[in-house]
Amino acid sequence: MNTVLSRANSLFAFSLSVMAVLTFGCFITTAFKDRRVPVDIRVSRVLLKNVDDFTGPRERSDLGFVTFDLTADLQPIFDWNVKQLFIYLSAEYATKANSLNQVVLWDKILLRGENAKLNLRDMKSKYFFFDDGNGLRSNKNITLTLSWNVVPNAGILPLVVGSGHVSLPFPESYENTRSY
Amino acid sequence: MLSVFKSIPTHMDYKGQKLAEQIFQGIILISAVIGFVYGLIIEQFGWTVYIVLGGFAVSCLLTLPPWPMYRKNPLPWQPVLPETSTEPTQKPQENIQKKKKHK
Repeated sequence: MNTVLSRANSLFAFSLSVMAVLTFGCFITTAFKDRRVPVDIRVSRVLLKNVDDFTGPRERSDLGFVTFDLTADLQPIFDWNVKQLFIYLSAEYATKANSLNQVVLWDKILLRGENAKLNLRDMKSKYFFFDDGNGLRSNKNITLTLSWNVVPNAGILPLVVGSGHVSLPFPESYENTRSY
Repeated sequence: MLSVFKSIPTHMDYKGQKLAEQIFQGIILISAVIGFVYGLIIEQFGWTVYIVLGGFAVSCLLTLPPWPMYRKNPLPWQPVLPETSTEPTQKPQENIQKKKKHK
């Protein structure tokens, strides 16, 4: 501590240790919070086609198109340890070929400070709803749920499923090839 | 250019070093507590970091330069002894004797 450099060294190291303790404190105050929020999903239109699937092993696979409405208020989740939310809408169903299928249809990144009260109408899916085979036709039960990943400033990234899902049957027949 | 920086005196005496350490530890801890509570209230961790950085800047100003308050207890050195006249003549004689022996 006799020279400026050794004083500066000891000051800087102390500040960094204090900052590490504060970051841990920030994590501890929000580690056990419940981050579930009620979510309302409605489906307005379902279309089903049987098209060439160049990414799969067979010639033609089922391709679904879902138009949905989404209402959710995610503002209570944003506290001082949340940087952004990664929200995604996934469809879950069972077919004769596979007992569990999960497909992500749409996602969004919600930054801190953006409007967190989602009120989306007539949204089209962002990603193709391909099935591994032809299991979507006449499927009685396809469940759409909204989930989100909380990206924190410090700590673990929890994956939360919103409370509120909608189940719907898919149509019995294919549409003719028309532009979407 | 570096010789200019080395010639500036930056020493503190021991009691001054202890005082400086106490001062900066106290300032940073207080700013950490204030920053933590403020960030918790307004729900933004960025403000906690800013307040701690402010505390760091204040303690840099207060403890890095050697202010006079850190030099109030200088070490009591012994007084300088004056050099006697026999010492400088003995050394050259010893050197001459050693050189003769080697040759």
